[in-house]
Amino acid sequence: MLLTAPAWAQRRDRPHRSGLWAELGAGPGRVRIACSGCTDVVVASAPSSYFRIGGTVSDRVLIGVEVFSSLDRAFGFSRGDTTTTAETATATVVVLWFPSRRGFFFKGGVGLAAGQFTVPGTAGVDTSNGGGIGLTFGFGWDFAISRKFAITTNLAAHVTAVGDVVLPGQRIDDVIATMYQGSIGFSFR
Amino acid sequence: MTAPLLAVLMAVQFDSVPKPRTVMAIGQVALINTFVNRVDAWVFKQDWARSGTRVWGEHLRLGWEWDEDAFTTNMFAHPYHGGLYFNAARANGIGFFQAVPYAIMGSWTWEYFGEKYRPSLNDWYMTSFGGITLGEVFHRITATIRDNRATGQGRTLRELAALPMDPIGSLNRLVRGQWRARGANPPEHDPGSYVLRIGAGARFAKGLIADSGAARMGAMLVDLLYGDPFTTEYRSPFDQFGVRLMLSSNGGFSSLRASGRIYGTNLNNPARTARHVLAVNTRYDFFKNRAQSVGGQSVEIGINSRWPIGSRGYAFRTSLFVDGILLGAIDASGTGLGTRTYDFGPGGGARWEFAVDRHGARFVRVFGQWEYIHAVSGASADHIVDFSGIEANIPIGRGFGIAAHSTVFHRISRYSTAPKDERNYPEARLLLTWTKAGFKP
Repeated sequence: MLLTAPAWAQRRDRPHRSGLWAELGAGPGRVRIACSGCTDVVVASAPSSYFRIGGTVSDRVLIGVEVFSSLDRAFGFSRGDTTTTAETATATVVVLWFPSRRGFFFKGGVGLAAGQFTVPGTAGVDTSNGGGIGLTFGFGWDFAISRKFAITTNLAAHVTAVGDVVLPGQRIDDVIATMYQGSIGFSFR
Repeated sequence: MTAPLLAVLMAVQFDSVPKPRTVMAIGQVALINTFVNRVDAWVFKQDWARSGTRVWGEHLRLGWEWDEDAFTTNMFAHPYHGGLYFNAARANGIGFFQAVPYAIMGSWTWEYFGEKYRPSLNDWYMTSFGGITLGEVFHRITATIRDNRATGQGRTLRELAALPMDPIGSLNRLVRGQWRARGANPPEHDPGSYVLRIGAGARFAKGLIADSGAARMGAMLVDLLYGDPFTTEYRSPFDQFGVRLMLSSNGGFSSLRASGRIYGTNLNNPARTARHVLAVNTRYDFFKNRAQSVGGQSVEIGINSRWPIGSRGYAFRTSLFVDGILLGAIDASGTGLGTRTYDFGPGGGARWEFAVDRHGARFVRVFGQWEYIHAVSGASADHIVDFSGIEANIPIGRGFGIAAHSTVFHRISRYSTAPKDERNYPEARLLLTWTKAGFKP
């Protein structure tokens, strides 16, 4: 039965990824930084990138590890301030679920996060580092180009809770940065 | 002959594994949130429940924060609440992994739309991941309590006993007439091998009430091992799990720990005498008394081994696991956030155990656990918790026994702006126990 099916039908029925797979992508991001007790949030744009690698649990479920990073060299904790360099990253265990045999998938994962905020000071630069919990969720679409390669679009949110940020003259308690990312990636399977 | 047999088998299969009711499960999750919110707003006049579209817009704009709720609220009430979402899915025939998004989305919608306060990230973690672990534990325990073949008053008592642990499942069964209807039991009803041990007696804890002297109080302990790592081959998540509950006359509900296998595989030939099995578990920890409060949600991976001794069912067991704490909490008096007296953070650790058992029931157990928590919300601190002990259970006949436990809880907290805090809490328990076990090799 399968042998007589047209080629396009056979292609649609096979798993999107199988065995080991890897994906690398980048795209624009929007970061929203909130803190405990804050009545407002800081919003900025920043480029972001990710790399994920993993294996196949079934033809609809993939599991892997994802590393995501965002870098903003013109960030500020107040309006008009662009003096801070903000770097945030997450390393999470992610699950990709394809509800159907088409390329659409949901993604979710939890893991660790790190954040670094650097401002120029009177004697060099002042840096505040923090580590904490990372969380990601989103969805995307795998466009199969060949049997071993796909272009993948993603819309995802990355939540990073990195603790207190202490910089000269200011202390921001319990910072939680949420990055919204639209990206295009290359998937190898 | 074959056709009727096949029809019976199909009927049993249909009855024990109902068709998933996705829309019903989603509706029940939404109903749980709506019901809890409206009861709190209308009946209990709670200000935090007065949520509306303006509040929802604010929450979507401001996003996550950490909350200041009490330890028991965050570390037990929220996971229990998450279990309601999870079991709304399980009660409607949805499998373990497919039920996970129900706990996650139920919690997310509650945080954003169910309360006046900003969405709390710690609540989301505890409700989602704690809800998955506790939810499945409750789902399976209640499946063993309920008996679809029972009748009369005994049947009703079983259904009532299951109600507090799985209210959503119980309500579904009530509405569907399953409190009285006779039929096949689901596969979870029979765990195969199991050990249930209940103990009551005295607990002696130095420093629990004051910083000097030993305090004496009553204690009740419940240990349940559902399935056995060696005799229960991995087929589905939580087909093997362990739970320990401790109640104390001083402080009430003082600990609840649950660890369930979500994946397992044999590391050697199952026909060999000595066995080694790999397990990946999700773990829930709640440990609270007047001296210390620790808890969290973890994922652990490790190896269980068993070496038989002689031919009368005795064996030597070991366990070695390493874990990652998705989010943990530990008391840090005076250094928390606002009125909160404990820190939140991720971490990791390890645990080990040596035990001697007969048919799965442990007589002697020596164990240790070491955990590290890096505070993300609260104090700027790193906490190390070390928990170890020895437990012995001496049988005296008819399932009864005398148990003697000795444990030490040790912690070191290193603060960036305060002196190091190091504490020791030794504890001893003397209990009269009753053990019921089933072992199916």
